[in-house]
Amino acid sequence: MKYALFPGCVLRGAASEAFLATVKVTEALGIDLVEIPSWTCCGASHLQDVDDLTALAVNARNLAIAESMGLPIMTVCNTCTLQLRRAKESLDTDPALKAKINAILAKSGYEYKGTAEVTHLLWVLASNPQLLEGKVVKPLTGLKAAGFYGCHLLRPPTIMNYEDSLNPQSLEKIIRLLGAEPVNFDFKLKCCGFHAFWTAEKDVMKVTGQTVDSAAKAGAEVVVTPCPLCQLQLDMYQPEGRTAIQTSAELPILHLPQLIGLALGMSKDDLGVKRHISAADKVRS
Amino acid sequence: MPITLKIQRSLEGKQWTQDYSLELEKGMTVLSALIKIKETLDPTLSFTASCRSGICGACAVRVNGNAVLACETPLGDLVKRYQSETLTIAPLANFVVLRDLIVDWKPKYTNLKKIKPALQPKDEFSAAAGCKQSPADFKKYQKNSECILCGSCVSECSKSTANSNDFLEPFVFAKAQKFVADSRDKDVLAHLDPAVKEGLWKCFNCQQCAAKCPKGLNPAEDIEKLRIMTFKKKMSSNAGSDHAQAFYDDIRDTGRLDETKLGFKTEGVKSALRVPFAYRLMKTGKLAPFEKTEVIPEIEKVRTILSAAKEVK
Amino acid sequence: MDKMNRRTFLKVGAAAGAAVLTSGCFGWFGDNIPAAVRNGTALYDVLIIGSGGAGMRAALEAAKQKGLKVAVMTKMVPTRSATCMAQGGINGAARHTDEKDSPASHAFDTIKGGDYLCDQDAVDFYTERAPEVLWELDYSGIAFNRKDDGRFDQRKMGGSTYSRTAFSADITGHAVLHTMFEQCLKHEIDFISECQLLEIVTAKGKFSGVVAMDMRSGNIMPIPAKSVIVATGGYGRAYWVRTSNPFSSTGDGIAACFNVGIPVKDPEMVQFHPTGLAVNGVLLSEASRGEGAYLLNKDGERFMARYAPKAMELGPRDLVAQAIEKEINEGRGIGEGLSSAVYMDFRHLGRAKIMERLPQVYQLALEFEGVDIAEQPVPIRTSCHYSMGGIDVIDYKTCATKMPGVFAAGECSCISVHGANRLGGNSLVEILVFGKSAGAGAAEYAKSNNYEENKEALQSAVEGWNKKFSEATGRSTGPSIASIRDKMALTMWNNAGVFRTEPGLTQAFADISALQEEYKQCAVGDSSKTFNISFMNYVELGNLLVLAKVIISGAMARKESRGSHSRVDFPKRDDKNFLQHTLITKDGDKLKTEYRPVVVTKYKPEERKY
Repeated sequence: MKYALFPGCVLRGAASEAFLATVKVTEALGIDLVEIPSWTCCGASHLQDVDDLTALAVNARNLAIAESMGLPIMTVCNTCTLQLRRAKESLDTDPALKAKINAILAKSGYEYKGTAEVTHLLWVLASNPQLLEGKVVKPLTGLKAAGFYGCHLLRPPTIMNYEDSLNPQSLEKIIRLLGAEPVNFDFKLKCCGFHAFWTAEKDVMKVTGQTVDSAAKAGAEVVVTPCPLCQLQLDMYQPEGRTAIQTSAELPILHLPQLIGLALGMSKDDLGVKRHISAADKVRS
Repeated sequence: MPITLKIQRSLEGKQWTQDYSLELEKGMTVLSALIKIKETLDPTLSFTASCRSGICGACAVRVNGNAVLACETPLGDLVKRYQSETLTIAPLANFVVLRDLIVDWKPKYTNLKKIKPALQPKDEFSAAAGCKQSPADFKKYQKNSECILCGSCVSECSKSTANSNDFLEPFVFAKAQKFVADSRDKDVLAHLDPAVKEGLWKCFNCQQCAAKCPKGLNPAEDIEKLRIMTFKKKMSSNAGSDHAQAFYDDIRDTGRLDETKLGFKTEGVKSALRVPFAYRLMKTGKLAPFEKTEVIPEIEKVRTILSAAKEVK
Repeated sequence: MDKMNRRTFLKVGAAAGAAVLTSGCFGWFGDNIPAAVRNGTALYDVLIIGSGGAGMRAALEAAKQKGLKVAVMTKMVPTRSATCMAQGGINGAARHTDEKDSPASHAFDTIKGGDYLCDQDAVDFYTERAPEVLWELDYSGIAFNRKDDGRFDQRKMGGSTYSRTAFSADITGHAVLHTMFEQCLKHEIDFISECQLLEIVTAKGKFSGVVAMDMRSGNIMPIPAKSVIVATGGYGRAYWVRTSNPFSSTGDGIAACFNVGIPVKDPEMVQFHPTGLAVNGVLLSEASRGEGAYLLNKDGERFMARYAPKAMELGPRDLVAQAIEKEINEGRGIGEGLSSAVYMDFRHLGRAKIMERLPQVYQLALEFEGVDIAEQPVPIRTSCHYSMGGIDVIDYKTCATKMPGVFAAGECSCISVHGANRLGGNSLVEILVFGKSAGAGAAEYAKSNNYEENKEALQSAVEGWNKKFSEATGRSTGPSIASIRDKMALTMWNNAGVFRTEPGLTQAFADISALQEEYKQCAVGDSSKTFNISFMNYVELGNLLVLAKVIISGAMARKESRGSHSRVDFPKRDDKNFLQHTLITKDGDKLKTEYRPVVVTKYKPEERKY
């Protein structure tokens, strides 16, 4: 299995441990990743607020480059996945718009054809559980893991249509395949607030606190998420979250590839857990 | 198949959950089940419904925490989705509850008024001759006119749930966008200005509203379109628009986000107050303030695209 | 009376306060009603009952008179009204598509479509004012489909000679309703929401006010007013499940007017829309046929060729409905009994056209029948759809009834512009033309008349209803609302439905009388004062039973077949004896039947051929 990797900005920066873990885990599972050369930020829903045509053109370029590699695209961030899939949907269903964008792209020598699918690491693994067969050398037996999906991997369901957005099971499936025990909690499908941090900070800290508290109350020892933005929010701001709603539970927040890596026998340090702010010590080695 | 509906009820300050067992019949919707309960099991169960065909908006309720239009939601589908013969029914969230599944719409109309929810026709039109509008322009706002005021978008709205005092319901933003996109309207700012003042930039972008609308409207996308319009209209900047602009600038400058400067670009000097937080990040190596963001090799091609996109009408 | 209201207000306010403090989100806020109504100091100049297109349009018109106190009362909240269910379009000779169209042509089509039971002067008045209603709607921001030249588009509906139906995809009623609501918000129209009309009260033969129940508190209140515009819609729910109408179409305003001696005109004229979904009566827009769908019997034959060879599927509704029932009765339908049906076939239109022009029809067929109409034909059957009959309006220019201060507009009224059968697209324009007239008429009346106070009558009515509430909700045994209602619907569908006979109608009358006796022992099953929907349903059922009898009486007396009224024992139209409007008036415990000649000005009744 070979994919053109779209890492996304935070994997270069604040969530570089996710990049580390992704590379190590995909290598171990036999998934070939080739980073898309010269990819740009997907806009992260914020460029999309400045100008629609600009955002579409920027992502059409990202998609076009991957197409020229002849590979499907794999993302490892929810928001990147949504923005790329949105762009694809708009271009694939509106020939006039596609022509307009291609006229812009042509000025730099690109052409969007619509031949590359966009998928996320979680979906690839959930659809190909055989990849994990025989590789789980350190099953996470007894580990109660709360899977936090993150909005942009589920909604809107017309674009993010891998599974039922109201009762998704892909994360739980992976958690079980790793030997751990998925924990159902009220905030499983809710929003971490990451994108509204600058404009609604108090509210965002409230939901951050509520999410961690909800997982803890449901018995989780760890929260795992396929989105590095959610991971950043729930990890970096966990203390503020606790203050906002006056709770005390502290939970480690793992990137999906980190949880997988642990089950594949890699160490915490191999997977960059040291970079986490919250409860890094609580993660089993 | 026998199913159990656990209904969240309330009456004059008392709240309780009541279980009802009934047979799942072919073609049964959430509404027909509620009616069956009321007519054969418990006449005190209270809910509102009228058209039973998805156009009047009276019957939205929550099933297992998610808003649906009761009249067009087959129970069988829900049993399948949740893999359970027991379903929980509750009134819409983020509404004051009057009794059982009946909620208070009055405060929502008050919010709707804030964005001036009526066309302000251009001076060239008249009541005597109507307006002119191309079919292409009609399509730009047609979807937004299909809102049935059912409230489904409000129920799981993340921002409204956290705090609704400085925000408007998603359908209010969708209504504002309807007028902003309607070529017959003469004053975009009359609708846009209040939208900005009442929390346009505070939306979490959680997409719950887009996922819940039974008529296929997309209030999250409408919020995005309204935000774009604030740039087009060169309205005064705020933390939200500065944050968005920072992404544009970073993509133009290096192709990728410059995290270290993001705080300053969004908040200005206020970001100095974030030093304790920044220190927390630097301790574990998450923040490396002196690392320069690399410029992607093809940056000139990106800049060409950005300029070209700006030129297009 | 004031003391009682104030005490109740304080008690209720305290309860609300306590509720809010103790239960967070589960309190209630009683601001669905203006404070003046709650504390009994309100005196409206124009009180409008019903927040559909007619009610809201009337309010906008009345409110143009500075200083007049105007309010719209609704038993739900504004945008739930039946207006939102109309699909196909709104008629007016604006001539955007057909230059040859004219109000005169529109009038003739309407009169012929009504099988000559329409009052021709009223029809001319109506069709002359239709085009301006369309332009006004456009100017108010309605989402009309457009032509290439930028003007709103107009298509052809059944029974219309020219293309005069403006539309918003296939949800035109929804578009009209929400545009009216937007305008009401803009003009700060007062809404008295969640208030169920119970009774109209008069003084010295003039209107004096209404008694209504505030659903939130359960308080039964008097609402004094100088004039009232009844705009409460139709009575299709007399047929309960075999109707396209919403649950709210229970003829409340018509029954209230009837109960104070205002006649109901042409009640037997109930339109059976040909294409309701077989499974639940939900309407599939006439636009389906307008866009070219075929009607097929079980042999795949386009049977309309035998009933309306020229117009085929675009014949007027009564013709098509009767054709469908005939096909079913003669064994060429599919299915059995009440779920028999024929097919409507869209396949030849192609998916793209279906999705563009008939998206809602597509959704409804998929949701309720599980049929993708681009791939398969969908089973449909006749459903009671519209009430041509209604409150007898005696002055079409003002919508006045014979009782001073009482006006009626919209489906609940009978002017008559629709006669014995209504054309598609004519109802949405009627509610706006006459909503406007009624608003102006009632405002004028309020300005030039003194208020006829009758505190005693209002108070006595309030007490009567309080007693009724206690009794009906206090019974622990007795027939349920649903059981009485279902029996009513069955006898109405079987005996007063598409095809009627003397013995059938006689049976129906006896059945309804028996049901009215049962109703006196009805156990509502919910004794709460807070939002007692069951009691609301009980009141509605009472209204339906009253109107059922009125319908049956009208049908029995009209010994001819005309438009939607089909007497198997009198299959021909009889202009000699029945070019008249039926007037049913309350006469003590009985019903009085009288006639008034139809106003014929230009068009002598001819045979109706399509």
